[in-house]
Amino acid sequence: MSPLASAPESPKGQAPETRARDEHLPKGRVGFVTLILLLTVTLVAVVLFSVATGAVRIAPEAILAALLGHHPLTSTQQTILLQIRLPRVLASGVVGAALAISGLMFQGLFRNPMADPYVIGSSGGAVLGACIGIFFFSQFSIYGFSATALLAFAGSVITMAIVYSLARSSGRTNIITLLLAGFAVSTMLGYSSYFFEAFDSSSGSNHLILLSWLHGVIGIPRWTQLSVSATFLLTAAVLAMPLMRRLNTLALGDEYAHQLGLRVEYTRIGIILAGSLLTAVAVSLGGLISFAGLIVPHVARLLLGPDHVRLLPVTALSGAIFLVVADTLARSLFAPTEIPVGILMAFLGGPFFLYLLRQSKRSYVL
Amino acid sequence: MNALLSFRDVSFGYDELDVIQSASFDLQAGDCTALIGPNGAGKTTMLRLAAGTLRCGSGNVLLNGESLDTLAIRKVARTVALVPQQLDVPFQFTVREVVEQGRTPYLGFLRGLMSEDRMAVDRALDLADLTGLQKRIFNELSGGERQRVKIALGLAQEPKLLLLDEPTQNLDIGRQVELIDLLHFLHEEGITIFASIHDLQLVEGNFSSVLLLSPDTPLMRGTAEEILKPSILEKAFNCPPRRHPLLLERIQRYERRAG
Repeated sequence: MSPLASAPESPKGQAPETRARDEHLPKGRVGFVTLILLLTVTLVAVVLFSVATGAVRIAPEAILAALLGHHPLTSTQQTILLQIRLPRVLASGVVGAALAISGLMFQGLFRNPMADPYVIGSSGGAVLGACIGIFFFSQFSIYGFSATALLAFAGSVITMAIVYSLARSSGRTNIITLLLAGFAVSTMLGYSSYFFEAFDSSSGSNHLILLSWLHGVIGIPRWTQLSVSATFLLTAAVLAMPLMRRLNTLALGDEYAHQLGLRVEYTRIGIILAGSLLTAVAVSLGGLISFAGLIVPHVARLLLGPDHVRLLPVTALSGAIFLVVADTLARSLFAPTEIPVGILMAFLGGPFFLYLLRQSKRSYVL
Repeated sequence: MNALLSFRDVSFGYDELDVIQSASFDLQAGDCTALIGPNGAGKTTMLRLAAGTLRCGSGNVLLNGESLDTLAIRKVARTVALVPQQLDVPFQFTVREVVEQGRTPYLGFLRGLMSEDRMAVDRALDLADLTGLQKRIFNELSGGERQRVKIALGLAQEPKLLLLDEPTQNLDIGRQVELIDLLHFLHEEGITIFASIHDLQLVEGNFSSVLLLSPDTPLMRGTAEEILKPSILEKAFNCPPRRHPLLLERIQRYERRAG
């Protein structure tokens, strides 16, 4: 019998999980269930608003009425919604959720709120993979996925593994080494695109594909591609679930985590695999989109606190909302001209991130 | 009956540098032992070996008679808790969230905290007198409060053996006394204590036995009275006898007793 067991008896009739947890909230943080409900409603509203927006305006009420079985839409409207707008809106949701979750995982893994899937190098690997796909295997595809998407995935996973092993020495990961190694590898591989362009014989068409990919444009995916991506997203999110509690433990440092009975290396590998899978899902649908993976977990952490278990669903929903809104703006702000959502994110995200940095610089003394 | 913790001919070195050379000793359940020795003698290393976060180069560390090499690390973590010198938390975790991590060795693959885990966390917070601070952000606490959070984190593991690495370091004298009182209380609750202590003045009267680790003397074990002799300390700490008030005071005490 443990000596601690002699302490007071527990009260009969436990309070429900959320009540018990919310009582321990420090000032300035919001309740988990409230936030989840709010975000779910917001996501549905944002998706509805987004599919209603475009050159041919279809009122959100009309879409709702059609969904409920009254007043069916015209066949043109149906085509626009189902073949063009909905796939794109859903794709941006998938990309946003994937980027946000992988950002959360990498920030937790590296114990650094400034880490994101791109900062630490996976983007460079993805660029190299995508280039090989665009320039050499442009005809190849499986389930709607081009070689570009598949090789971008492989590139981001391999780069992550390289950067991670470079940053480790005698069982510890040095954060500065990690960021520098990530920066170096990412820059090196990222510039490989110029090499491919220089020796390209397609008279510029591959160059345009590559350019849009680098700027982050969410195209109009086929439904098969979308469903495979969504499956990957769900798989990675499900894989991520048991890892979230372990990320909290890892936040105390490697040695502490080991002392608490956590298998640190296996946990790390699991997080890198799931995080890379998510990055690659995002990259394969939308190319390189910066800042989403950095800002969304950051804001969620400010609202909810750093518990990764509760951050997972909140960042996923917030990421989806964030990117659906951003992509809607990207295609409608200067309509009919469309700006790449990646560029919009950089313009919106950069200043916002700097603002956050100034607000919270006291909290992040590393 | 097996000792709670046994070192059998344990040696350990970092790269070429031998830190611990064939150390053997037993800790019985209920002991309250101070680990003393000069800087760099390997006190932290010895505690890490005891907690299983370092594997010994040769020899064996036994927990209740079983080698740490063969025990699952989760099982070790339910028996031994190590309170290290330093805990850096990168995010704004609350005190409670930090202490909850102590339940890690009890959680299944998918299972989160259950009501018994929450009770253990409540007890640990209560024992370390942190119940009123549990909503505070760990990074915003003072050094003495952080020390208590680290101990509460260890207590949430419900350990039989609590290892502490210089728990009184950087504490003012009031917080040092508080911490020693807390250790006494935990010891009375039945937890075996093994703590490295830098400040020798805190050892006497507070620990039932003392283990002296020094590169210049063999590993020595005894009561505070037996180990804290000027002749031993002078050699182990390589300190000229009349240059430090602690040694001077002890020499004078021995002289008075002799005269």
